[in-house]
Amino acid sequence: MAKLRIQFENGDPEKVIEFDPAKAPFHHDGKPGSILDVMLGHGVHLEHACGGNCACTTCHVIVKQGFNKLGESSEQEEDLLDRAPGLTPTSRLGCQAVIDDPDAEIVVVIPRFTINQVSEAAEE
Amino acid sequence: MTAEPPAAAPARRTTLIARVESIFDHAADTRSLFLSLTGGKHQRFVPGQFISITIPLNDETRSRPYSIASDPKESGPFEICFNRVEGGRGVAWLFERQIGDLIDFSGPFGAFTIDRAPAAELCFIAEGTAIAPIRPMLKRALASSPSPKVELIYAAPDREHILYAGEFDALARTAPSLSYETVIAPAEKIYDRLFELAQARWVTADADRTRHFYICGVGKGVIRLRDLLRGAGYERRSVHYEQW
Repeated sequence: MAKLRIQFENGDPEKVIEFDPAKAPFHHDGKPGSILDVMLGHGVHLEHACGGNCACTTCHVIVKQGFNKLGESSEQEEDLLDRAPGLTPTSRLGCQAVIDDPDAEIVVVIPRFTINQVSEAAEE
Repeated sequence: MTAEPPAAAPARRTTLIARVESIFDHAADTRSLFLSLTGGKHQRFVPGQFISITIPLNDETRSRPYSIASDPKESGPFEICFNRVEGGRGVAWLFERQIGDLIDFSGPFGAFTIDRAPAAELCFIAEGTAIAPIRPMLKRALASSPSPKVELIYAAPDREHILYAGEFDALARTAPSLSYETVIAPAEKIYDRLFELAQARWVTADADRTRHFYICGVGKGVIRLRDLLRGAGYERRSVHYEQW
């Protein structure tokens, strides 16, 4: 069984999900077996304003352990992460980062803020 | 937690409610809804952004993105534009909305935007309803002073699905910096035509690699265009795209 440990920067209690990657998809948003798919399918919410279509960065997660166990990121994911404030060397989009190793132990942190909301306040 | 998935995850927190003020059908399968916030405030957004609408489907809710097609500088309702998609339950729900209905949404979101136009030639490429985010971006670019040279290439399978055609024709007549061109091609050939056009016009015709591109569309054709332009020497950050 793979294990996904989720920590929340806002102080919410940690969640741990044990799952069989071969049973993906667990939900209907994001790549099958992605961090988003696993979380939603196990009742743990992760923002995904674009519906898990790799068109925003609201499902940004910071991988604390097991970064190399995740499927490779695409150029499209990298382009989006490029625009995300709070980017770290181990940032991924939850909708794109697939866990397919049944022995993987992944630890992610969910940042405190949804980070790609842009306001026109400065112009008004 | 167990290995077996329980019922669907809880819906994302809803932050805003909009009322459907009016409806406009561009074509039998393409519609715009004009929305206003129930609190009376003006919805702020940056050209190119989308809202995430909460779609109730039987015993669950889904969040689905819809680009804002109107200009943030205009007062009054803001506009989303969409078309019927085979099997698309979210858009089917939207087609059922009537004037006066309330819609829950959050946002705006998205990094495919133009806040201040770069001081370079701008090339916009869109197909079908993917013109929605491009429309306010184009207006923002044309409103810049001085306005950069702007090119809009807009593709659709037929004339009926060239949305806002009268508006773009009028802009092309009145904005000297704008060049506007439509591409009419069968749906399965649209990206082949756009690829050929982009290659001829922006890759082989000259060595200028200072242009900025904003591409919006559905499917892998968007990625083909991105790869063509980046592969030809345009800077990665000059080739902006949104693929649905």
